[in-house]
Amino acid sequence: MKGLFLILALVAPVSPGMGQEPSSPLRPLRKTEAIPSLEPVTWERLRNAAEEPQNWLMYSGTLDSQRFSRLDQVRRENVSELELKWAYQIPEIDRAETVPLVVDGVMFITESPSNVVAVDAGTGRPYWRYEHELPEDLRICCGRNNRGVAILGETLFMSTLDAHLVAIDARSGSLKWNIEVADHKAGYSKTEAPLVVKDLVVTGIAGGEYGIRGFLDAYKPHTGERAWRLYTIPGPGEPGNETWAGESWKTGGAPTWITGSYDPELNLIYWGTGNPGPDWNGEVRMGDNLYSDSALGVEADTGKLAWYFQFTPWDVHDWDAIQVPILTDLELNGEARKVMMWANRNSFYYTLDRKTGEFLVGKPYAKQTWAEGLDERGRPIRAPGKLPTPEGNVVSPPILGGTNWYSPAYSPRTELFYVNAYDGEQEYFIREEEYREGEQYTGGGAQNVQPIDKYKSAIRALDPRTGDLRWEFEIQPRSSSGLLATAGDLVFGGTVDGYFFALDAESGRELWHVAVGARVHSAPITYAVNGRQLVTIAAGNVVFTFGLD
Amino acid sequence: MGVASFVPVVLVSGFFWIPPPAEAQENPFDTEVDARIGGRVFLAECGRCHGNDAKGNDETDAPDLTRGRFRNASTDAGLFQVIRDGVPGTTMIGIGWAPDPTIWQIVAYVNSLRIDPADYDLPGSVDQGRRIFNGKGNCASCHVVHGIGGRLGPDLSTVANRRKPEELKTDLTDPDETVEPRWWTLKVTRADGSVAEGLRMNEDTFTLRIMDGDESLRHFSKKDLRSIERIETSTMPSVSGTLTASEVDDLVAYLFSLRKESGT
Repeated sequence: MKGLFLILALVAPVSPGMGQEPSSPLRPLRKTEAIPSLEPVTWERLRNAAEEPQNWLMYSGTLDSQRFSRLDQVRRENVSELELKWAYQIPEIDRAETVPLVVDGVMFITESPSNVVAVDAGTGRPYWRYEHELPEDLRICCGRNNRGVAILGETLFMSTLDAHLVAIDARSGSLKWNIEVADHKAGYSKTEAPLVVKDLVVTGIAGGEYGIRGFLDAYKPHTGERAWRLYTIPGPGEPGNETWAGESWKTGGAPTWITGSYDPELNLIYWGTGNPGPDWNGEVRMGDNLYSDSALGVEADTGKLAWYFQFTPWDVHDWDAIQVPILTDLELNGEARKVMMWANRNSFYYTLDRKTGEFLVGKPYAKQTWAEGLDERGRPIRAPGKLPTPEGNVVSPPILGGTNWYSPAYSPRTELFYVNAYDGEQEYFIREEEYREGEQYTGGGAQNVQPIDKYKSAIRALDPRTGDLRWEFEIQPRSSSGLLATAGDLVFGGTVDGYFFALDAESGRELWHVAVGARVHSAPITYAVNGRQLVTIAAGNVVFTFGLD
Repeated sequence: MGVASFVPVVLVSGFFWIPPPAEAQENPFDTEVDARIGGRVFLAECGRCHGNDAKGNDETDAPDLTRGRFRNASTDAGLFQVIRDGVPGTTMIGIGWAPDPTIWQIVAYVNSLRIDPADYDLPGSVDQGRRIFNGKGNCASCHVVHGIGGRLGPDLSTVANRRKPEELKTDLTDPDETVEPRWWTLKVTRADGSVAEGLRMNEDTFTLRIMDGDESLRHFSKKDLRSIERIETSTMPSVSGTLTASEVDDLVAYLFSLRKESGT
């Protein structure tokens, strides 16, 4: 990995936006001025994104979603010298979950509720903003969030809360097309960043608390025409439909609200699915409820399901398998394996074979009381007496899980998997509830039994060969941040009470922190402008960018 | 969207909709049955963030709704508006798609969670309790009431908004039963071996702040500390050994009189 900074120095001498102060005020209304120039982001560029670390070209950085950057200008020896370079204030106040993209000196930041702004990545000064008009009758469970855009050529693709997918000219912010993916009045919404796979825009759906029927879609980038749809709940006559009692498959949830990964060699897309619906009352949907709470291997050209691995059959705790799958190649028991690493919301860590979905390694990485372990195929062995009840039943992990949608990271230098973990618990309830289209359909809930200060939260480094803990860095009170690993042997992350920090990737030792004043509920990225490495994180409603002097 | 309750106002720059004055409306659906129905909708639509018990959730930033006081509304009409439209600038989203009567029923349910003094007929004397609080009980040395008292315990000026009489009695006789993290004790050992101890004013990933017995604030960087011991019991002694059962009743009656009335 040495010498990678040389690559950076060679490929990043020019920032189209640097030095050109836009004449627009901080908050331009809709389109103002076009970006001076933008090198089209071809599929080849996306496929080889790791080789241009001055950019951050997709939600998880690269198709394998390692969230690992080859940039090493900021490293253990000098990270304590990081200082604020610029801050961008998001005008629509909400809790920013955005992961920006950076393309040749231009940063694309999604904003609440469903907007995107282009700013100079070196200064934070805006070029243009696209504001998506939304209806007033949105059905959204968990805030007016958007997590980011995808780019192909000179077009951005963005999910919107009214369950649309829009294509936007990356140079001007003007709308190219706008299609309805699903009916928002029936409880569908979209929050995740799409993933470009060759000549398709792959995108998921949210609405697991509204009794939707989940799916994963692919669209043609020029027209918005749908290329394929894979329902995450099989229909009548399809294998797996028998795992849903009666007609429960129609309202069974299994959404796809976090961005997946792609292996070009195997031509497989990997995507996680969310909870079955109703979330907690499993009595109305007896069976394994395929393919809820699963990792899916999907043929990229056809959307055909190649394999699945269900982490939590018949889930009654809302433990979505909505985590970003991280891909790498490992030697396991003397055999080279193409694997997928996954720390699940159910508190178990898994290493799977990504060719076949075969279970290879499984072990708890956070406190759990619901299973006695995993069998030889990775299926959980349920502990007795851990189902939600009308009176309430305390179980670990809590609804928010051992981890949640917070992006993990992997460093090929340390060969460690980094995850934001939580050893919590909650009291789970069940209740009867009828499905009514467009209304929440959860069949229960949960409540805290003790203050969160009583529980332990930590960034944990796991060995993917065994699931063993290598180190942990304790967080007080907890974190809902994604992570970033770099060739500077750093792991960046944040906390709910407003810190952004860097740890030694090998030891977990804290090397730097800064108070950013509000919850970090996004994931860090790193990139470079004019040969200078920068690190960006959204906290509260502000996007902060740090760099060395 | 319940736009029927809005009044159109034409301004020079265009059309604006403004809600009626908050005090203009009372809840037309405020029976016990309405509250019960509202409770069911609350569990389905609101419980995910506010909790099944409506006591809020640190993780989701959803506030406790059981105290009869709300961040963004002081009247039923205000609550209605918050539930229907959400609170701009927060993660609180409205359920404007629901019919107005349903939203009013949620208002009725939320109101039913409030501790209502009319529900209690307490045996103790408020005046006697006040005297015990300031005298024999020695409570004022640690607790503030309306600006007077010590800082080594929680401010009790509005304690009746958050604690029921039976809870207050437990607080007095068994103080370790419920201790909020703010009132835990931290005992820290510096690198040189010296020790400091005090109430846990703040603790985050990197720093902590304590208030010692002299009410002095001390700030520490965790990196500089050799060890941190957390004592999760209360610093308050039980009154069981010093007060009679009748005096405890008086003290409970006094504490339960300390409330911020709605709208004040």
